[in-house]
Amino acid sequence: MNIMLFAPELFLLTGALVLFLLSLGSAGGGKARGTTLLFAIVTVASALVCLHLEGSLFYNAYRIDFFSQFIKLIIAVGFLVVLLVGRQLKGVADDVRAEYYLFLTMSTLGLMMLVSSVELLTLFIALELSSYSLYLLVPMRDDRAGSRMQMEGAIKYILFGVVATGIMLFGMSYLYGLTGTTYLGELVTRLHPIMAQPAAIVGLAMVLCGFFFKLAVFPFHFWVPDVYQGASNETTAFIASVPKIAAVALLIRMTTLIAPGGWPVVNLLVVLAVASMFYGNLVALVQKDIKRMLGFSGIAHAGYVLLGILTLGQNGYATAMYYITGYLVMNLACFLVICAVSPKGENLQIDDLSGLHQRSPLLALTLAVGMFALAGIPPFVGFMGKFMLLANALNEGYLALVILAAINTAISIFYYLSVVRVAYTTSPEGYPAVQVAGTTKLVGVLLMLVIIAMGVLPTAMMNIATSAVRVLL
Amino acid sequence: MTPILSPQGLAGLIFLGCVAATIAGALLATNATRLIRAVTGLALCMVGVAGIYYFLGSPFVALMQILIYAGAVCVTIIFAIMLAEPHEMKRVGKVHALAGPASILAATVLVWGLAALGTKTVWQPVACRAKNGTLEEVGQSMLTTYSMSFELISVVLLIAIIGSLALARAGRSK
Repeated sequence: MNIMLFAPELFLLTGALVLFLLSLGSAGGGKARGTTLLFAIVTVASALVCLHLEGSLFYNAYRIDFFSQFIKLIIAVGFLVVLLVGRQLKGVADDVRAEYYLFLTMSTLGLMMLVSSVELLTLFIALELSSYSLYLLVPMRDDRAGSRMQMEGAIKYILFGVVATGIMLFGMSYLYGLTGTTYLGELVTRLHPIMAQPAAIVGLAMVLCGFFFKLAVFPFHFWVPDVYQGASNETTAFIASVPKIAAVALLIRMTTLIAPGGWPVVNLLVVLAVASMFYGNLVALVQKDIKRMLGFSGIAHAGYVLLGILTLGQNGYATAMYYITGYLVMNLACFLVICAVSPKGENLQIDDLSGLHQRSPLLALTLAVGMFALAGIPPFVGFMGKFMLLANALNEGYLALVILAAINTAISIFYYLSVVRVAYTTSPEGYPAVQVAGTTKLVGVLLMLVIIAMGVLPTAMMNIATSAVRVLL
Repeated sequence: MTPILSPQGLAGLIFLGCVAATIAGALLATNATRLIRAVTGLALCMVGVAGIYYFLGSPFVALMQILIYAGAVCVTIIFAIMLAEPHEMKRVGKVHALAGPASILAATVLVWGLAALGTKTVWQPVACRAKNGTLEEVGQSMLTTYSMSFELISVVLLIAIIGSLALARAGRSK
């Protein structure tokens, strides 16, 4: 066994072990943060080094190829950026920060293992590892306000999560009952001849539900507003971005199982995409809390991503990956601003951003770039991603879907731009000044550069995504 | 028709008995007003499910079902009830008038859907009979085919334990 195949995961696991030892003593948050940051950097580096490796581990239950390694790299970078964005971790008490970082690391590890799993049970347990850690992160927020809203969020998160997981397991049992195997590679060949069987279609659709929950697609979105609001800003930044990368990767992996007879699953994806877009965008219009607003916008973006996945083609998959990577960057840019502006880690209303261009010009610019990108305005990545998704769906003959998505983009522009309007046109009177650390400024500038670079020069990223997806087909 | 006193007929009776125990236990668990009775119903339900596993030829899974669910889980819940001493309360709050019919409708649709799914699908027997479910085979597959899941489960459990400690103790100050 080549140990390099497992290197990024091993480094994260070592990091988790060190954090576990730290949590046994009386280490404060500073030490834990330094350790996590160090291991995150090492993980990114090792993911880069291992990018082109190929192989199988653990009796072929774990597949390392360009697809998995590329997504692991994105997850590792996302993890590092989340750590930098939530550097001060204002919303979590100092004495539980060692455990907090432990769970964050384990969640990332679970996501990384998820994208390499090619066996249903391994896949399920890797998903549970990442979900369990996330369930724990939500109620770890300080209860300074005494409203216990983090508890409400956590309970909703775990209950909906358990239901989605149950549905997924039920679906897996159908797939196993039909084919007698839990390996995805064998499932493809054995499932294709019997794809028209009702049990195969229902089983596959039920397996997808587990990832719909992670991505917050319409009927599995109920946890989103309360978890986004209840969890501390830093936790929300993680929940809103990194797990969605893995969810899209797994949706791509699972939808490759759909054979020509599986059109009901595709129709289901179409319906869910439309419902997610309309629901997310329409409810986001009336939100006052900025995290809730981003939550509903995330549901809408999940709908856009499904536009790429449901075409079941190489181009669609690659565009979906491009889009969700762009979404990670745009979302993190917005959360960087939220984390920095919130004085003690409390939730921000949209009005709290009043006059941000005078209180902190750089943050206001980052927010504007992030919101413009989310709204899909050129030259940012959000525009390029939506454009390619719609163009691809049009080529595949989904005209009605493209029209509906375009209408949704128009709706969404209103609420994204109203945030920018508050930040740029209102007076800062009555709102405290914002102190921004050097690292935050640097990360903000870098995120803006990536948003613009990915939007202006999409070809490079699309080529990588295409070659990653080609491995699966 | 199979005579009841033939081996098949008796096996069918045992199967129906297990199903009846499962359904009765589930009804008791959801409808009892006292928590402790609900737990007893849950235990009965689990034993019924274990019987079905045994009927399907997986004695090991049946044993584990009784040991873990009917045994450990239910006993833990009973301990929790003893320690927490919950007040026995009548159900408060009015249920919406449509809740009853709607739930019956939903349940009918669900049962109909699952039944249709089972009967409409052409189930092919898998070429090689999947593992016989003996202890030896389960142990071997845990250390070979499913070694990854087996190791990963321990990590998940560790996270769950640390997490419950970190949350329940509200940090290490108390």
